[in-house]
Amino acid sequence: MSPMTADRRASWLKGVLDLLVLASLSEGESYGYQIARTLADAGLGQIKGGTLYPVLNRLEEAGLLATEFRAAERGPGRRYYRLTDEGRRTLDEEGARWLAFDESVRAVLTKGRSR
Amino acid sequence: MSGYFEDLAARLRAAGVPEQRVAATVDDLRAYLGDSGTDPEEEFGPAAEFAGMLTTGAEPPAAEPAPGERWVWTADIFADRRRLNEFGEQGWEVETVDHLGRFVCTRAPDRPQRWEYRREVVAPADRERVGERLAPDGWEPCGTWFFYAYYKRPKAALVGPAAELDAPPPRPAGRVFFSGRFYLFVAVYLLVLVPLVIGLRHVFPGSSLGWDLETVVGMIVGLAAGLAGTTVVILVAERRHRRRQGR
Repeated sequence: MSPMTADRRASWLKGVLDLLVLASLSEGESYGYQIARTLADAGLGQIKGGTLYPVLNRLEEAGLLATEFRAAERGPGRRYYRLTDEGRRTLDEEGARWLAFDESVRAVLTKGRSR
Repeated sequence: MSGYFEDLAARLRAAGVPEQRVAATVDDLRAYLGDSGTDPEEEFGPAAEFAGMLTTGAEPPAAEPAPGERWVWTADIFADRRRLNEFGEQGWEVETVDHLGRFVCTRAPDRPQRWEYRREVVAPADRERVGERLAPDGWEPCGTWFFYAYYKRPKAALVGPAAELDAPPPRPAGRVFFSGRFYLFVAVYLLVLVPLVIGLRHVFPGSSLGWDLETVVGMIVGLAAGLAGTTVVILVAERRHRRRQGR
């Protein structure tokens, strides 16, 4: 991947990462590393903790995520995240907007490529 | 790794993040690295920058924090761990162990959190190594007394916000907590060693041993007297302190 391609991907991700994090929690609670793995397994690349945690923090502060810290039997405990009702509503609304945007982008790009 | 998290924790605190939130965040990030196997700086970026990103929206301290309660107390080696954990449950955080072996503690004025403690027998040269071994489980050093090293850990590291105390009990009345075992130890020491010394003087009236018997006798008597004297001084000081408080 060229540096320019990597930069472009990073910019795309920046615009949609909060929605991706919300979506990764739509089926139930999870913790930081597991969320990063889910997104990596979906083909979005390895998202560093330094990028992910500030997003988790902002979503929590906005009341879209609720957290619960749980002790581990061995080693440090983890903070678990789950969607709040408001988070689920935001995911539905903003997710639909993103999909509409994606559809417009797709239509233009498809038209451009077919010429 | 611990240097990174100490730096991060200090920056979060300075930005006004509550203590239990700091402890839980650091624990969570340590768990993340346990899974990813990466280096903290590589994963999260420089501590200063990362702390800044985590504290967007955190309330900076409005002013100097209100001074917490301060309390200095001591216990013998048989009772120290039990007492430390008892008072840790009441929100007392050990800041250091002073040169007299007393635990210098503070307690936050508002919703203090609970602490737990452990003691290790460690040679001074090994303190750093033991500290590094305990750090991943959230323990940090809080004082030493000869070969005893004390470590504290906020309960928030285990139970999160539930570690906060809504209504902490008043400060304990006493400052000296000697156990029954300690008094028994002193009694046995005096009852066994003093007659032994007197007996030795009768058995070896001269100085026919390989080393000077008078010196040995003097040393043992001195030790016994020193131990008894120290106990008396501490008890008298405590009684005076109580009397002053009662006025």
